[in-house]
Amino acid sequence: MKHSFLDNYSDIPSVIHGLDPRVKIIGFFFLTVVCVSTPASSYFSFSVYFAVLLGVLLLSKLPFHHVFGRSMAVIPFVLMVAVFIPFLKKDVIGGGYNLGIGGLTVSNSGLMVLWNVVIKSYIGVLCMILLSSTVPFPKLLKGFEDLGLPKIFTTIASFMYRYVFIITDEAQRMKRARDSRCFGGKWIWHSKVIGHMIGTLFIRSYERGERVYVAMLSRGFDGDLKGKERAQRLRSGDYIFLSVLIPIVTGVRLMV
Amino acid sequence: MHVPDGFVSGGVNAITYIISAGISVFAVREANKKLGDKQVPLLGVVAAFIFAAQMLNFPVAGGTSGHFLGALLAASLLGPWMSCLIMTVVLTIQCLLFADGGLTALGTNIFNMGIIGGVLCYYILVALKSIFPKNKSGYLVSVAISSLMSVVLGASACAVELAISGTSPLGIVLPAMASVHVLIGIGEAIITTAVVGLILNTRPDLVGTYSYQDAGTFNTMEA
Repeated sequence: MKHSFLDNYSDIPSVIHGLDPRVKIIGFFFLTVVCVSTPASSYFSFSVYFAVLLGVLLLSKLPFHHVFGRSMAVIPFVLMVAVFIPFLKKDVIGGGYNLGIGGLTVSNSGLMVLWNVVIKSYIGVLCMILLSSTVPFPKLLKGFEDLGLPKIFTTIASFMYRYVFIITDEAQRMKRARDSRCFGGKWIWHSKVIGHMIGTLFIRSYERGERVYVAMLSRGFDGDLKGKERAQRLRSGDYIFLSVLIPIVTGVRLMV
Repeated sequence: MHVPDGFVSGGVNAITYIISAGISVFAVREANKKLGDKQVPLLGVVAAFIFAAQMLNFPVAGGTSGHFLGALLAASLLGPWMSCLIMTVVLTIQCLLFADGGLTALGTNIFNMGIIGGVLCYYILVALKSIFPKNKSGYLVSVAISSLMSVVLGASACAVELAISGTSPLGIVLPAMASVHVLIGIGEAIITTAVVGLILNTRPDLVGTYSYQDAGTFNTMEA
Protein backbone atom coordinates (compact mmCIF):
# COMPACT_ATOMS: atom_id res chain seq x y z
CA MET A 1 0.00 0.00 0.00
CA LYS A 2 1.05 3.56 -0.52
CA HIS A 3 1.86 5.13 2.78
CA SER A 4 5.45 6.12 2.50
CA PHE A 5 4.42 9.62 3.59
CA LEU A 6 6.13 9.09 6.95
CA ASP A 7 9.73 8.22 7.63
CA ASN A 8 10.74 8.26 3.98
CA TYR A 9 14.31 9.31 4.53
CA SER A 10 14.63 9.07 8.29
CA ASP A 11 17.02 6.14 8.34
CA ILE A 12 19.57 6.89 5.64
CA PRO A 13 23.11 6.85 7.05
CA SER A 14 24.55 10.28 7.75
CA VAL A 15 26.18 12.29 10.51
CA ILE A 16 22.94 14.05 11.35
CA HIS A 17 20.86 10.87 11.32
CA GLY A 18 23.33 9.31 13.74
CA LEU A 19 22.82 11.97 16.41
CA ASP A 20 20.71 11.33 19.48
CA PRO A 21 17.06 12.33 18.93
CA ARG A 22 17.06 14.47 22.08
CA VAL A 23 19.89 16.58 20.76
CA LYS A 24 18.10 17.19 17.48
CA ILE A 25 14.83 18.03 19.25
CA ILE A 26 16.59 20.57 21.49
CA GLY A 27 18.61 22.01 18.62
CA PHE A 28 15.74 22.51 16.16
CA PHE A 29 13.28 23.71 18.83
CA PHE A 30 15.86 26.20 20.04
CA LEU A 31 16.49 27.50 16.54
CA THR A 32 12.74 27.85 15.86
CA VAL A 33 12.06 29.75 19.07
CA VAL A 34 15.05 32.06 18.62
CA CYS A 35 14.10 32.70 15.00
CA VAL A 36 10.53 33.65 15.91
CA SER A 37 11.82 36.05 18.55
CA THR A 38 14.24 37.78 16.15
CA PRO A 39 13.20 41.27 14.98
CA ALA A 40 12.14 41.28 11.33
CA SER A 41 14.70 43.89 10.32
CA SER A 42 17.80 41.81 11.15
CA TYR A 43 18.27 40.24 7.76
CA PHE A 44 21.73 39.03 8.74
CA SER A 45 20.36 36.81 11.52
CA PHE A 46 17.87 35.17 9.20
CA SER A 47 20.53 34.47 6.61
CA VAL A 48 22.68 32.84 9.29
CA TYR A 49 19.76 30.69 10.49
CA PHE A 50 19.14 29.68 6.91
CA ALA A 51 22.83 28.91 6.39
CA VAL A 52 22.87 26.75 9.53
CA LEU A 53 19.87 24.79 8.29
CA LEU A 54 21.44 24.46 4.87
CA GLY A 55 24.58 23.09 6.50
CA VAL A 56 22.53 20.54 8.44
CA LEU A 57 20.72 19.65 5.21
CA LEU A 58 24.00 19.05 3.38
CA LEU A 59 25.39 16.95 6.23
CA SER A 60 22.20 14.92 6.42
CA LYS A 61 22.36 13.92 2.73
CA LEU A 62 18.61 14.39 2.42
CA PRO A 63 17.47 14.99 -1.17
CA PHE A 64 16.81 18.70 -1.73
CA HIS A 65 13.54 18.15 -3.55
CA HIS A 66 12.18 16.31 -0.51
CA VAL A 67 12.96 19.12 1.92
CA PHE A 68 12.08 22.07 -0.30
CA GLY A 69 9.07 20.36 -1.81
CA ARG A 70 7.58 19.72 1.58
CA SER A 71 8.40 23.20 2.79
CA MET A 72 5.73 24.47 0.38
CA ALA A 73 3.22 23.44 3.05
CA VAL A 74 3.39 26.97 4.37
CA ILE A 75 2.15 28.66 1.18
CA PRO A 76 -1.65 28.34 1.54
CA PHE A 77 -1.68 30.17 4.85
CA VAL A 78 0.61 32.92 3.61
CA LEU A 79 -1.56 33.38 0.53
CA MET A 80 -4.74 33.55 2.51
CA VAL A 81 -3.70 35.72 5.43
CA ALA A 82 -0.62 37.70 4.69
CA VAL A 83 -0.15 38.38 1.02
CA PHE A 84 -2.49 41.36 0.88
CA ILE A 85 -1.05 43.11 3.93
CA PRO A 86 1.43 45.33 2.01
CA PHE A 87 -1.41 46.69 -0.08
CA LEU A 88 -3.69 47.50 2.82
CA LYS A 89 -1.51 48.58 5.69
CA LYS A 90 -0.88 52.33 5.73
CA ASP A 91 2.56 53.67 6.51
CA VAL A 92 2.85 55.88 9.56
CA ILE A 93 5.75 57.70 8.00
CA GLY A 94 5.94 58.01 4.23
CA GLY A 95 7.98 55.73 2.03
CA GLY A 96 5.53 53.43 0.33
CA TYR A 97 5.64 52.66 -3.34
CA ASN A 98 2.92 53.62 -5.75
CA LEU A 99 2.34 50.90 -8.27
CA GLY A 100 0.31 53.18 -10.48
CA ILE A 101 -2.21 50.51 -11.31
CA GLY A 102 -5.63 51.53 -10.13
CA GLY A 103 -4.18 53.45 -7.21
CA LEU A 104 -2.59 50.40 -5.62
CA THR A 105 0.08 51.25 -3.12
CA VAL A 106 2.56 49.05 -1.35
CA SER A 107 3.55 50.20 2.11
CA ASN A 108 6.91 49.71 3.75
CA SER A 109 5.53 48.60 7.08
CA GLY A 110 3.21 46.19 5.33
CA LEU A 111 6.09 44.66 3.39
CA MET A 112 7.93 44.33 6.68
CA VAL A 113 5.02 42.41 8.23
CA LEU A 114 4.87 40.15 5.18
CA TRP A 115 8.63 39.53 5.24
CA ASN A 116 8.42 38.85 8.98
CA VAL A 117 5.78 36.12 8.68
CA VAL A 118 7.21 34.58 5.51
CA ILE A 119 10.78 34.18 6.74
CA LYS A 120 9.83 33.01 10.23
CA SER A 121 7.26 30.51 9.08
CA TYR A 122 9.64 29.23 6.40
CA ILE A 123 12.54 28.70 8.80
CA GLY A 124 10.14 27.06 11.28
CA VAL A 125 8.89 24.70 8.59
CA LEU A 126 12.44 23.83 7.52
CA CYS A 127 13.38 23.03 11.13
CA MET A 128 10.43 20.67 11.54
CA ILE A 129 11.09 18.95 8.20
CA LEU A 130 14.75 18.44 9.02
CA LEU A 131 13.86 17.10 12.45
CA SER A 132 11.22 14.66 11.22
CA SER A 133 13.29 13.54 8.23
CA THR A 134 16.35 12.68 10.27
CA VAL A 135 14.70 10.79 13.15
CA PRO A 136 12.41 7.77 12.70
CA PHE A 137 9.13 8.52 14.44
CA PRO A 138 9.36 5.90 17.23
CA LYS A 139 12.79 7.25 18.18
CA LEU A 140 11.43 10.78 18.09
CA LEU A 141 8.76 9.79 20.62
CA LYS A 142 11.38 8.10 22.76
CA GLY A 143 13.42 11.28 22.65
CA PHE A 144 10.44 13.35 23.80
CA GLU A 145 9.77 10.90 26.59
CA ASP A 146 13.38 11.05 27.76
CA LEU A 147 13.08 14.84 27.74
CA GLY A 148 10.15 14.60 30.15
CA LEU A 149 7.00 14.79 28.05
CA PRO A 150 4.13 13.10 29.96
CA LYS A 151 3.99 9.44 29.06
CA ILE A 152 0.31 9.45 28.20
CA PHE A 153 0.94 11.68 25.19
CA THR A 154 3.80 9.61 23.84
CA THR A 155 1.88 6.37 24.37
CA ILE A 156 -1.21 7.68 22.56
CA ALA A 157 1.05 8.96 19.81
CA SER A 158 2.86 5.63 19.47
CA PHE A 159 -0.44 3.76 19.17
CA MET A 160 -1.54 6.29 16.65
CA TYR A 161 1.63 5.73 14.67
CA ARG A 162 1.06 1.98 14.68
CA TYR A 163 -2.50 2.21 13.46
CA VAL A 164 -2.37 5.16 11.13
CA PHE A 165 -0.98 2.97 8.34
CA ILE A 166 -3.67 0.32 8.74
CA ILE A 167 -6.40 2.93 8.84
CA THR A 168 -4.93 4.82 5.90
CA ASP A 169 -4.93 1.59 3.93
CA GLU A 170 -8.53 1.07 4.92
CA ALA A 171 -9.38 4.61 3.81
CA GLN A 172 -7.55 4.14 0.51
CA ARG A 173 -9.38 0.89 -0.19
CA MET A 174 -12.68 2.63 0.46
CA LYS A 175 -11.66 5.50 -1.76
CA ARG A 176 -10.72 3.12 -4.56
CA ALA A 177 -14.00 1.28 -4.19
CA ARG A 178 -15.83 4.60 -4.35
CA ASP A 179 -13.91 5.83 -7.38
CA SER A 180 -14.40 2.56 -9.26
CA ARG A 181 -18.13 3.14 -8.86
CA CYS A 182 -17.82 6.39 -10.81
CA PHE A 183 -18.00 8.83 -7.95
CA GLY A 184 -17.43 12.32 -9.32
CA GLY A 185 -17.47 14.14 -6.01
CA LYS A 186 -17.60 17.65 -7.37
CA TRP A 187 -20.44 19.09 -5.35
CA ILE A 188 -21.13 19.75 -1.76
CA TRP A 189 -24.09 17.35 -1.65
CA HIS A 190 -21.70 14.53 -2.45
CA SER A 191 -20.20 15.02 0.97
CA LYS A 192 -22.84 12.69 2.34
CA VAL A 193 -21.01 9.83 0.63
CA ILE A 194 -17.79 10.95 2.26
CA GLY A 195 -19.66 11.19 5.54
CA HIS A 196 -20.76 7.59 5.28
CA MET A 197 -17.24 6.53 4.36
CA ILE A 198 -15.83 8.32 7.37
CA GLY A 199 -18.55 6.80 9.56
CA THR A 200 -17.69 3.30 8.39
CA LEU A 201 -14.03 4.08 8.87
CA PHE A 202 -14.73 5.23 12.42
CA ILE A 203 -16.66 2.12 13.36
CA ARG A 204 -13.98 -0.12 11.90
CA SER A 205 -11.24 1.83 13.70
CA TYR A 206 -13.09 1.87 17.00
CA GLU A 207 -13.83 -1.82 16.90
CA ARG A 208 -10.21 -2.42 16.04
CA GLY A 209 -9.26 -0.36 19.08
CA GLU A 210 -11.53 -2.48 21.26
CA ARG A 211 -10.08 -5.71 19.86
CA VAL A 212 -6.56 -4.43 20.38
CA TYR A 213 -7.38 -3.53 23.96
CA VAL A 214 -8.85 -6.96 24.66
CA ALA A 215 -5.84 -8.63 23.06
CA MET A 216 -3.54 -6.52 25.18
CA LEU A 217 -5.51 -7.30 28.34
CA SER A 218 -5.25 -11.01 27.66
CA ARG A 219 -1.48 -10.59 27.39
CA GLY A 220 -1.25 -8.94 30.78
CA PHE A 221 -1.60 -5.23 29.98
CA ASP A 222 -2.14 -3.24 33.16
CA GLY A 223 -2.08 0.31 31.87
CA ASP A 224 1.67 0.59 31.56
CA LEU A 225 3.76 -0.33 28.56
CA LYS A 226 6.68 -2.46 29.64
CA GLY A 227 9.97 -3.03 27.97
CA LYS A 228 10.98 0.58 27.50
CA GLU A 229 14.74 0.84 27.56
CA ARG A 230 16.53 3.49 29.59
CA ALA A 231 17.71 6.65 27.93
CA GLN A 232 21.04 6.27 26.17
CA ARG A 233 24.00 8.41 27.13
CA LEU A 234 24.91 11.22 24.79
CA ARG A 235 28.00 10.69 22.66
CA SER A 236 30.67 13.19 21.73
CA GLY A 237 29.03 13.91 18.35
CA ASP A 238 25.87 14.98 20.15
CA TYR A 239 27.78 17.45 22.30
CA ILE A 240 29.59 18.81 19.26
CA PHE A 241 26.29 19.36 17.40
CA LEU A 242 24.79 21.34 20.27
CA SER A 243 27.97 23.21 21.06
CA VAL A 244 28.20 24.38 17.45
CA LEU A 245 24.54 25.15 16.85
CA ILE A 246 23.54 26.89 20.08
CA PRO A 247 26.46 29.39 20.32
CA ILE A 248 26.09 30.39 16.64
CA VAL A 249 22.35 30.93 16.93
CA THR A 250 22.56 32.68 20.29
CA GLY A 251 25.46 34.84 19.15
CA VAL A 252 23.72 35.99 16.00
CA ARG A 253 20.54 36.73 17.91
CA LEU A 254 22.33 38.75 20.59
CA MET A 255 24.29 40.78 18.04
CA VAL A 256 21.10 42.48 16.89
CA MET B 1 -6.34 26.52 9.62
CA HIS B 2 -2.93 25.60 10.95
CA VAL B 3 -1.10 28.77 11.93
CA PRO B 4 2.62 28.64 10.97
CA ASP B 5 5.49 30.16 12.96
CA GLY B 6 5.86 33.90 13.02
CA PHE B 7 2.23 34.81 12.36
CA VAL B 8 1.16 35.31 15.97
CA SER B 9 3.12 37.38 18.46
CA GLY B 10 5.05 36.05 21.43
CA GLY B 11 2.40 37.20 23.90
CA VAL B 12 -0.43 35.44 22.08
CA ASN B 13 1.73 32.32 21.75
CA ALA B 14 2.56 32.33 25.45
CA ILE B 15 -1.05 32.81 26.58
CA THR B 16 -2.47 30.14 24.26
CA TYR B 17 0.34 27.75 25.20
CA ILE B 18 -0.47 28.16 28.89
CA ILE B 19 -4.22 27.72 28.33
CA SER B 20 -3.72 24.70 26.05
CA ALA B 21 -1.24 23.02 28.37
CA GLY B 22 -3.49 23.56 31.39
CA ILE B 23 -6.57 22.22 29.64
CA SER B 24 -4.63 19.25 28.24
CA VAL B 25 -3.48 18.28 31.73
CA PHE B 26 -7.06 18.55 32.94
CA ALA B 27 -8.21 16.52 29.93
CA VAL B 28 -5.74 13.75 30.77
CA ARG B 29 -7.15 13.57 34.30
CA GLU B 30 -10.76 13.52 33.10
CA ALA B 31 -10.01 10.87 30.48
CA ASN B 32 -8.27 8.75 33.13
CA LYS B 33 -11.34 8.94 35.35
CA LYS B 34 -13.70 7.88 32.58
CA LEU B 35 -11.79 5.11 30.88
CA GLY B 36 -8.83 4.05 32.99
CA ASP B 37 -6.17 2.20 31.08
CA LYS B 38 -8.55 1.45 28.24
CA GLN B 39 -8.08 4.98 26.99
CA VAL B 40 -4.57 4.45 25.68
CA PRO B 41 -5.12 2.01 22.80
CA LEU B 42 -8.57 3.44 22.13
CA LEU B 43 -7.46 7.05 22.02
CA GLY B 44 -4.50 6.06 19.88
CA VAL B 45 -6.67 4.31 17.35
CA VAL B 46 -9.24 7.11 17.28
CA ALA B 47 -6.42 9.62 16.86
CA ALA B 48 -5.14 7.56 13.92
CA PHE B 49 -8.69 7.60 12.56
CA ILE B 50 -8.95 11.40 12.77
CA PHE B 51 -5.55 11.60 11.12
CA ALA B 52 -6.63 9.34 8.25
CA ALA B 53 -10.03 10.99 7.91
CA GLN B 54 -8.38 14.38 7.54
CA MET B 55 -6.75 13.07 4.39
CA LEU B 56 -10.12 12.68 2.64
CA ASN B 57 -10.62 16.09 1.11
CA PHE B 58 -14.09 17.27 0.34
CA PRO B 59 -15.00 19.86 -2.22
CA VAL B 60 -15.96 23.41 -1.27
CA ALA B 61 -17.52 25.79 -3.78
CA GLY B 62 -15.17 27.45 -6.24
CA GLY B 63 -12.76 24.62 -6.87
CA THR B 64 -11.15 24.73 -3.44
CA SER B 65 -11.30 21.86 -1.04
CA GLY B 66 -11.33 21.63 2.69
CA HIS B 67 -10.60 18.74 4.90
CA PHE B 68 -12.40 17.35 7.82
CA LEU B 69 -11.52 18.72 11.27
CA GLY B 70 -13.16 16.04 13.37
CA ALA B 71 -12.97 17.78 16.74
CA LEU B 72 -16.72 17.94 17.20
CA LEU B 73 -17.18 14.43 15.86
CA ALA B 74 -14.77 13.14 18.48
CA ALA B 75 -16.48 15.26 21.14
CA SER B 76 -19.96 14.02 20.30
CA LEU B 77 -18.76 10.42 20.41
CA LEU B 78 -16.23 10.42 23.24
CA GLY B 79 -16.88 13.58 25.22
CA PRO B 80 -15.06 16.91 25.32
CA TRP B 81 -11.92 15.93 27.21
CA MET B 82 -11.02 12.96 25.12
CA SER B 83 -11.70 14.96 21.99
CA CYS B 84 -9.36 17.67 23.25
CA LEU B 85 -6.69 15.08 24.05
CA ILE B 86 -6.97 13.46 20.63
CA MET B 87 -6.81 16.78 18.83
CA THR B 88 -3.76 17.77 20.88
CA VAL B 89 -1.93 14.61 19.83
CA VAL B 90 -3.03 14.89 16.19
CA LEU B 91 -2.05 18.56 15.92
CA THR B 92 1.31 17.99 17.59
CA ILE B 93 2.13 15.18 15.20
CA GLN B 94 0.99 17.18 12.19
CA CYS B 95 3.29 19.96 13.36
CA LEU B 96 6.28 17.67 13.89
CA LEU B 97 5.92 15.36 10.91
CA PHE B 98 4.27 17.45 8.24
CA ALA B 99 5.30 20.94 9.35
CA ASP B 100 1.58 21.66 9.27
CA GLY B 101 1.35 24.52 11.75
CA GLY B 102 4.37 26.03 13.46
CA LEU B 103 6.03 24.79 16.61
CA THR B 104 5.75 28.11 18.41
CA ALA B 105 2.14 28.41 17.23
CA LEU B 106 1.21 24.93 18.43
CA GLY B 107 -0.49 26.29 21.54
CA THR B 108 -2.56 28.59 19.35
CA ASN B 109 -3.52 25.75 17.00
CA ILE B 110 -4.51 23.48 19.88
CA PHE B 111 -6.56 26.33 21.32
CA ASN B 112 -8.34 27.06 18.02
CA MET B 113 -9.05 23.50 16.97
CA GLY B 114 -8.87 21.31 20.06
CA ILE B 115 -10.27 23.53 22.78
CA ILE B 116 -12.72 25.64 20.81
CA GLY B 117 -13.63 22.82 18.43
CA GLY B 118 -13.61 20.01 20.94
CA VAL B 119 -14.52 21.46 24.32
CA LEU B 120 -16.41 24.70 23.74
CA CYS B 121 -18.46 23.31 20.85
CA TYR B 122 -19.27 20.23 22.91
CA TYR B 123 -21.04 22.51 25.37
CA ILE B 124 -22.73 24.30 22.46
CA LEU B 125 -23.95 20.87 21.35
CA VAL B 126 -25.25 20.09 24.85
CA ALA B 127 -27.03 23.47 25.00
CA LEU B 128 -28.56 23.05 21.53
CA LYS B 129 -29.65 19.53 22.36
CA SER B 130 -31.77 20.84 25.21
CA ILE B 131 -33.46 23.41 22.95
CA PHE B 132 -34.31 21.18 20.01
CA PRO B 133 -36.95 18.40 20.13
CA LYS B 134 -35.70 15.45 22.12
CA ASN B 135 -35.46 12.92 19.30
CA LYS B 136 -33.00 11.76 16.70
CA SER B 137 -33.55 14.53 14.17
CA GLY B 138 -33.36 17.19 16.86
CA TYR B 139 -30.09 15.69 17.99
CA LEU B 140 -28.68 15.55 14.47
CA VAL B 141 -29.63 19.19 13.85
CA SER B 142 -27.75 20.23 16.96
CA VAL B 143 -24.76 18.14 15.85
CA ALA B 144 -24.85 19.89 12.46
CA ILE B 145 -25.02 23.39 13.96
CA SER B 146 -22.32 22.80 16.53
CA SER B 147 -19.94 21.25 14.01
CA LEU B 148 -20.45 24.25 11.73
CA MET B 149 -19.72 26.43 14.75
CA SER B 150 -16.57 24.46 15.57
CA VAL B 151 -15.01 25.40 12.23
CA VAL B 152 -16.25 28.99 12.10
CA LEU B 153 -15.42 29.79 15.72
CA GLY B 154 -11.97 28.23 15.36
CA ALA B 155 -11.26 30.31 12.26
CA SER B 156 -12.60 33.46 13.90
CA ALA B 157 -10.43 32.89 16.96
CA CYS B 158 -7.50 32.51 14.58
CA ALA B 159 -8.42 35.82 12.91
CA VAL B 160 -8.65 37.58 16.28
CA GLU B 161 -5.24 36.21 17.30
CA LEU B 162 -3.72 37.41 14.03
CA ALA B 163 -5.24 40.85 14.60
CA ILE B 164 -3.98 41.06 18.19
CA SER B 165 -0.52 40.10 16.95
CA GLY B 166 -0.61 42.96 14.44
CA THR B 167 -0.25 40.66 11.44
CA SER B 168 -3.51 41.62 9.73
CA PRO B 169 -6.16 44.18 10.58
CA LEU B 170 -9.23 42.58 12.16
CA GLY B 171 -11.62 44.25 9.72
CA ILE B 172 -10.09 42.35 6.82
CA VAL B 173 -8.92 39.05 8.23
CA LEU B 174 -12.04 38.26 10.23
CA PRO B 175 -14.55 38.47 7.35
CA ALA B 176 -12.09 36.67 5.04
CA MET B 177 -11.46 33.79 7.41
CA ALA B 178 -15.05 33.55 8.60
CA SER B 179 -16.59 33.54 5.11
CA VAL B 180 -14.27 30.86 3.74
CA HIS B 181 -14.75 28.77 6.84
CA VAL B 182 -18.53 29.01 6.72
CA LEU B 183 -18.26 27.05 3.47
CA ILE B 184 -15.79 24.57 4.95
CA GLY B 185 -18.00 24.41 8.04
CA ILE B 186 -21.04 23.45 5.95
CA GLY B 187 -19.05 20.54 4.55
CA GLU B 188 -17.92 19.66 8.07
CA ALA B 189 -21.53 19.80 9.30
CA ILE B 190 -22.84 17.55 6.51
CA ILE B 191 -20.06 15.04 7.06
CA THR B 192 -20.25 15.05 10.85
CA THR B 193 -24.03 14.63 10.73
CA ALA B 194 -23.76 11.79 8.22
CA VAL B 195 -21.10 10.08 10.33
CA VAL B 196 -23.02 10.46 13.59
CA GLY B 197 -26.24 9.34 11.89
CA LEU B 198 -24.55 6.26 10.50
CA ILE B 199 -23.02 5.37 13.85
CA LEU B 200 -26.38 5.91 15.58
CA ASN B 201 -27.87 3.32 13.24
CA THR B 202 -25.13 0.74 13.68
CA ARG B 203 -23.47 1.21 17.08
CA PRO B 204 -25.62 3.66 19.05
CA ASP B 205 -23.67 2.83 22.20
CA LEU B 206 -20.66 4.62 20.72
CA VAL B 207 -22.40 7.99 20.50
CA GLY B 208 -21.73 9.24 24.00
CA THR B 209 -23.80 12.42 23.79
CA TYR B 210 -26.95 10.73 22.46
CA SER B 211 -29.12 9.82 25.42
CA TYR B 212 -32.62 9.23 24.06
CA GLN B 213 -34.53 5.95 23.73
CA ASP B 214 -31.59 3.84 24.77
CA ALA B 215 -32.35 1.22 27.36
CA GLY B 216 -29.58 -1.32 27.63
CA THR B 217 -26.59 0.38 26.04
CA PHE B 218 -23.83 1.73 28.22
CA ASN B 219 -23.41 5.43 28.27
CA THR B 220 -20.22 6.26 30.05
CA MET B 221 -19.43 9.55 28.47
CA GLU B 222 -22.66 11.42 29.16
CA ALA B 223 -22.06 14.88 30.57
